[in-house]
Amino acid sequence: MSIKTSAAQGAGQDSPKSATAPLSAAARLRKVHWYQEPRWRRLGALLALAVTLRLMTGEEGTTQDLFLALREDFTGVGLWIWLAIAVAVWAVREFLTDQTSRAVEGTKKVSAGPLDRVRQVWSADKRVRMGVLTAVLALVVFGPLGVERYWQQVLVDQIAIFVLLAIGLNVVIGWAGLLDLGFIAFFAIGAYSAAYWTGALPVQPPVALNNFLVLPIAVLTCLVAGVILGAPTLRLRGDYLAIVTLGFHEIVYLMAKNADGVTEGARGVKVERFSVDLGFFSYEWKLDPMPYYWLLVVFIVLAIFLFLRLEHSKVGRAWTAIREDEVAAAATGVPTVRYKLMAFAIGASTSGVAGVAYASKAGYFNPENFAILLSILVLAYVIFGGMGSIPGVLFGAAFLVWLPEYLREWVDPKDRYMYLGALLVIMMIYRPQGVLPSRRRKRELRMAEAGVGGADATGPAEGRQP
Amino acid sequence: MTTETVKKEQGPAGGSAGAGELVLETSGVTLRFGGLTSLDNVELRMRRGEVLAVIGPNGAGKTSLFNSLTGAYVPQEGRIVFRPREGGEHSLLGAKPHVVSQWGLARTFQNIRLFGALTALENVKIAAETRLKTGPVSIMLGLPNARKAERASDRRAHEVLSYVGLLEKMNELAGSLSYGDQRRLEIARALATDPEVLLLDEPAAGTNPTEKLELEELIRRINTELGVSVLLIEHDMRLVMSVADRVMVLNFGKKIAEGSPSQVQRDPAVIEAYLGAVAEEDEAAVAQAVAEGAGAQEGAGSGADTDTDTDTGADAGAPQWDTEEHK
Ligand SMILES: Nc1ncnc2c1ncn2[C@@H]1O[C@H](COP(=O)(O)OP(=O)(O)O)[C@@H](O)[C@H]1O
Ligand SMILES: [Mg+2]
Repeated sequence: MSIKTSAAQGAGQDSPKSATAPLSAAARLRKVHWYQEPRWRRLGALLALAVTLRLMTGEEGTTQDLFLALREDFTGVGLWIWLAIAVAVWAVREFLTDQTSRAVEGTKKVSAGPLDRVRQVWSADKRVRMGVLTAVLALVVFGPLGVERYWQQVLVDQIAIFVLLAIGLNVVIGWAGLLDLGFIAFFAIGAYSAAYWTGALPVQPPVALNNFLVLPIAVLTCLVAGVILGAPTLRLRGDYLAIVTLGFHEIVYLMAKNADGVTEGARGVKVERFSVDLGFFSYEWKLDPMPYYWLLVVFIVLAIFLFLRLEHSKVGRAWTAIREDEVAAAATGVPTVRYKLMAFAIGASTSGVAGVAYASKAGYFNPENFAILLSILVLAYVIFGGMGSIPGVLFGAAFLVWLPEYLREWVDPKDRYMYLGALLVIMMIYRPQGVLPSRRRKRELRMAEAGVGGADATGPAEGRQP
Repeated sequence: MTTETVKKEQGPAGGSAGAGELVLETSGVTLRFGGLTSLDNVELRMRRGEVLAVIGPNGAGKTSLFNSLTGAYVPQEGRIVFRPREGGEHSLLGAKPHVVSQWGLARTFQNIRLFGALTALENVKIAAETRLKTGPVSIMLGLPNARKAERASDRRAHEVLSYVGLLEKMNELAGSLSYGDQRRLEIARALATDPEVLLLDEPAAGTNPTEKLELEELIRRINTELGVSVLLIEHDMRLVMSVADRVMVLNFGKKIAEGSPSQVQRDPAVIEAYLGAVAEEDEAAVAQAVAEGAGAQEGAGSGADTDTDTDTGADAGAPQWDTEEHK
């Protein structure tokens, strides 16, 4: 390499004997072998990835023949297909970068004009927006009539419920920036409220109520629970709050599981389904999933409608301020603890509504329906879709709930969540802001990366309270 | 937070209420961090309507004093009293920062702390809104009072932004503004809370000479037109000498001098503190710097009348400076 030669020459001029030995050792260390060059290292990494992917997607092992899976994976055609893909990706990346980037630029330029025009029309004409929204809503409402019963079930039991949960969690984490890992606890509180007030628990309520009447009660209960949990803990920051909420979830979960006399414990609870009886009009939700679906769509649309107003209001701005710089927000007169509590309580009550809806749809639930994993999943949906953006969160929840169900047909059902995990990892590396990020969040991320404002401005607070 | 409301009849709260009356008073304020005493028995008396500068070498405790006044730090000992215009008094010692802001003390930060991902307008709106009483429910339901409040805060934010001269940049992100504009935006954000006392922590740090002159003019206007008392931390002696009515000097957390700018400059303790801080620097240079400051101060005068004369034309400020200095 050039470094080595020039160094040796320089040394050779004054004292050849004594200097060359140590220098050549140093130069040897400095020498870059061909396999250490970035290009070949990348090829190696891609090949390793291909082998890993083959192992992941390949044969399942058995305890009878420990090496069966390995043998199958390394002898079949699959391995070669994966390796070929890896090499192809590498070759395109290494040797065709100019062409690909030019092609990308070209499509961008070509699509920029029409896209801009669409955007202009979109923002200029209110009727266009209303028209598109109506069309989307119509599709959401009537589209599912055409799909199989199985997918209708998935749509109600999982997608709709998780979308509602994600919208609620978005308020807490996306807008107020509070890491809440115990969000599902409020879901449980909602479900058990439904069970209690409809008289399904061993302890009887003063009056047994209709499921719909339980909704406001559940909202209120979760609001109070949120405030009780939040008031002492919202002074904590980031990681500490996450641990506290985790603990709160565990308390609620274990109480549900172990307080047999009150909650039926692990046996679970049977809850009545939704029904309306107004005298002149009565309707009962039965086994058909679609009526539940429409009911949930109403809840979701209502929640979106209410929360969107918050985002660009005094409250939404105050949340952003707190998220960005709590000290400055407080100095500007924003009562930080009150706003954080507000976010917590609003998120909790949304979760509570989802809990009532879930209990009244499923007709039966047990504590395992509120495992900590669900909290983490909802969090993943929010982050995947794009924190702080309602369209993002809707997409994130719907897509990530749908994906494992869809994969059921294609891969070993036991492996489905492995693919979900891989997707999340890739997503966080290449698009940490999420699929459809909110504008504010995107800017924050960009600024954090660019270090806008200098080291001073982004540094920690000027000390805390003594 | 202790909010004793003492009946203290104060004449009709006019714009330029009693000049001699104290708006901010501290006594025996002592703040320690472990073994370090960052404020040592500090006495501060600030009259309503004055510009009081706090100077001192780095680490003297100036920012700590601001933090103690605004509730960010809680001194172990002492008394901090704020007397709002409408009478009564509030103890600021250990008060919550947002309550202090709502009482009427607004501040800026030495290290600019704007909400970088929000626009300039939004930054100011956040401050303007803290006085509006609309809850989340009325906002979610889109009730008329929520919409009215939104319009009110919008109007107020526009007003304040045009006052500091940032109106045309209101839709730019705070984080992408120039340094000088960021400093002004911070002042705008503080002003939007409708303060009686404005605490500026090194507002001229990192700004260029033109921006400094604009800043100087802005501080004067805030003081004279809006009747806001200004407590100013600043290293730029020319700025201090030209805008401050009085100067207080801190060193190692202790107040070592207080008085008119010219008095303070002649104070041996102050000269020594600066000499000590500059350490082994050319004594003559320091003496000259001090003398220069004195000259500038005389030019600017200390009365409000002369002040307004000096800044009748913002653009004419720069040449004026030079002539005064070389007089
Ligand atoms: N939060 C804190 N923790 C520990 N020491 C602090 C803290 N805040 C300030 N200090 C110390 O107090 C002293 C005064 O600091 P500061 O008020 O920032 O000085 P100035 O603003 O005059 O430059 C310094 O020695 C500083 O290290
Ligand atoms: Mg300081």
